[in-house]
Amino acid sequence: MADTDGGFTKNLRKFTFRALKATIKGALFYAFYFVLWMFLAPFSELIPGLQQMVETFVIVYIILMVIGELASDTIFQYFFNAAKALFVISYFVLSLNGGIFGMTFENVSLTIDIRLFLVVAMLLGLLGFAKSVIQAVNYMNTRAEYKSL
Amino acid sequence: MNIPIRMIGIATTFFWIFLIIFAVSALYSVKDVRFDFGEPQINPTSDNELLFSLPIIIENTGYYNIGFFNVTTEIWDEEGSPIMRGTTFTPVIKKYDRITITHNMTIEVDDLLQNYQDYLFNDVELRINAIVGMSVAEVIPVQAVANLSAFWGAPLYDFRLGGIDLTVYNSTHLRAVVPIGFENHAFFDLVGNMQLRMYNSTDSLLSEGETLIEAWHGSPYSGSVELYVSAAGATANGRFEMYFANPFFTIGPVVVPYG
Repeated sequence: MADTDGGFTKNLRKFTFRALKATIKGALFYAFYFVLWMFLAPFSELIPGLQQMVETFVIVYIILMVIGELASDTIFQYFFNAAKALFVISYFVLSLNGGIFGMTFENVSLTIDIRLFLVVAMLLGLLGFAKSVIQAVNYMNTRAEYKSL
Repeated sequence: MNIPIRMIGIATTFFWIFLIIFAVSALYSVKDVRFDFGEPQINPTSDNELLFSLPIIIENTGYYNIGFFNVTTEIWDEEGSPIMRGTTFTPVIKKYDRITITHNMTIEVDDLLQNYQDYLFNDVELRINAIVGMSVAEVIPVQAVANLSAFWGAPLYDFRLGGIDLTVYNSTHLRAVVPIGFENHAFFDLVGNMQLRMYNSTDSLLSEGETLIEAWHGSPYSGSVELYVSAAGATANGRFEMYFANPFFTIGPVVVPYG
């Protein structure tokens, strides 16, 4: 009975710690977004849908980050991290229209070529995805070693 | 295995932060780039061409240099044929710098009017394609394209020769006064020599005369040319051939029938 109570308390403490870590990470990420948005805000009037685009990204990213954090020390953590990396890549490709960003004001058309930024972002996303896969392999490997011992 | 994975994680996070801060600050610094346009000037060159100059003042108070700044202006006629093109390029505009560049376009009026004589007598709406390009922080290319239209004022708008005033000069010749009228809608003053040649109905040259034209831009002109015509060859109808030469262009013959 005492062992079960001890195990429950230990698990609760673990979960509370994960939840706290996830909350802190989420809050820090939101604070980072909040600071950056102060710089981007003047452009939201010029670029229709910019705020919605950034907010959607931040919301989904924070949700995946929090779920991944809550599922830490399980294989699902790496699934969520891989999903997060793939989400970043696909969201950038789709929302940035392949890296050529165009808009028209009256008789002036403006084109911004952010393909270089997109390529670097995709490479970083792929690196994050590769990291998650390696972490998952390492996790399974460690577990297999632990079981065999 | 854990240490390399952790190092990948740290490196990825570092690069992500760097990339996002760089992209946002580069975009934000565009807000602090100011463009101002000076008074456009039109001056004749030594080659008797017209030089159109537009001073552009650029003040870069952003965080990064601006690279590959270029201004291109293309002028097209109503049918889409190119008339002229001018490009101005500045490799780098450093941060906290204020520079003035002059965008020049040379207009070869003579070639233009030789190819498109319609521009001599009729006002035309021209299409201007202005392209401004630059690389924000020297890595993010940005291009703005503006489609504008401009008015081309004909230098000899509504050109006409009035009724010939014939008087007897002597026993063999008649004195003919031919009134000339037009409006100079061009953006330059018209100072030059106008020559009239008078042919009778059998294509024989009867006489020729010339006059100095001084027509200021945007104003009407009326004058006359005196001709001394052989009475024997004069016919009731025929044609005039008009030639006009000034520092910017030479035209002729422009045929105007009479009678």
